[in-house]
Amino acid sequence: MQENVINQSKNITIVEILDRVLNKGVVITGDVVISVADIDLVYVGLKLLLTSVETMREKRLAIVKPDQV
Amino acid sequence: MDNELIYVYCLSDTPLRLDDISKQESLKCLVFQGFYAVVKYVSPSEFSEENLKKNLNDLLWVDINAREHIRMIGEVMQNSTVIPFKFGTLFNSEESLAKFIQDYSGSLTENLNYIKGKEEWSVKIYCNRSTLILQIGDISENVDTLQKEILESTPGKAFFLKRKKIELVDKEIQNVMQICGQTCYDELAALSEQTKINNTLSKELTERTDDMILNVSCFVNQGRVNELLSVVDELLKKYKNVGFDMAVTGPWPPFSFILIKEK
Repeated sequence: MQENVINQSKNITIVEILDRVLNKGVVITGDVVISVADIDLVYVGLKLLLTSVETMREKRLAIVKPDQV
Repeated sequence: MDNELIYVYCLSDTPLRLDDISKQESLKCLVFQGFYAVVKYVSPSEFSEENLKKNLNDLLWVDINAREHIRMIGEVMQNSTVIPFKFGTLFNSEESLAKFIQDYSGSLTENLNYIKGKEEWSVKIYCNRSTLILQIGDISENVDTLQKEILESTPGKAFFLKRKKIELVDKEIQNVMQICGQTCYDELAALSEQTKINNTLSKELTERTDDMILNVSCFVNQGRVNELLSVVDELLKKYKNVGFDMAVTGPWPPFSFILIKEK
């Protein structure tokens, strides 16, 4: 058996992981279980995060620039 | 009461060897009707439906917990066949988990028998449009013919033909991507027991400069995994010059090939 992917690389992106673990595997609905159905929320979150990182970078650049001059 | 929900990682067909699992303080293995459920007890303050929803919007929380989810299942998978559960599946009590297993035992057994001896591999195919555009004159006879016609035309006619060329190049690029993508998929499918085509991910999410054109999960007999890896290598050699790239990862827990039938 090949070595497990989880041990192969520490650099697997969170997107690659979420691509698998959300809405796949045993997906149960019903009274016996708590499981968030609308899990695409995470993807929305990811996009928001990416945007805010960009904004942060821009802001930082704007702040840093005058000092560098 | 604290720690009263049961978070399920996976079901397995063999008893869990805790010694094989790293950082397993909170891990428990519960036995129900010959199934081994790998679980941890968690607090509603973190995992109640409402709190779970809140936490799913916290990227750091998601990152830590999703990685832990897949890492645990991956470690259990080293020594047994596993049925992975979706990230964030919680039962209210041992009784409710036992009831689920009892109700679905037939389907769970079918799944275990089906996935035994097979591995899930992910293959993602990317295409760099800029590289492909540079090659398109060599690949497409239509583009080549039109280009020659432009060179031989008067400036006025050439102007219109150039506009036509832009449209044609776009169409031919789509064609090449489709044909090469399909060829890759056909070869992967031919040696897989089953494949599942997943949504492609945007550049924003992949953080790559090229476009993902195919995202496929392949379920392969363990004896054919090396063949799969060689096929990917060959396809990459064949299509690299037209801007294709392929990323293969695995073996993943068989998330894409579990099908639990509703009763």
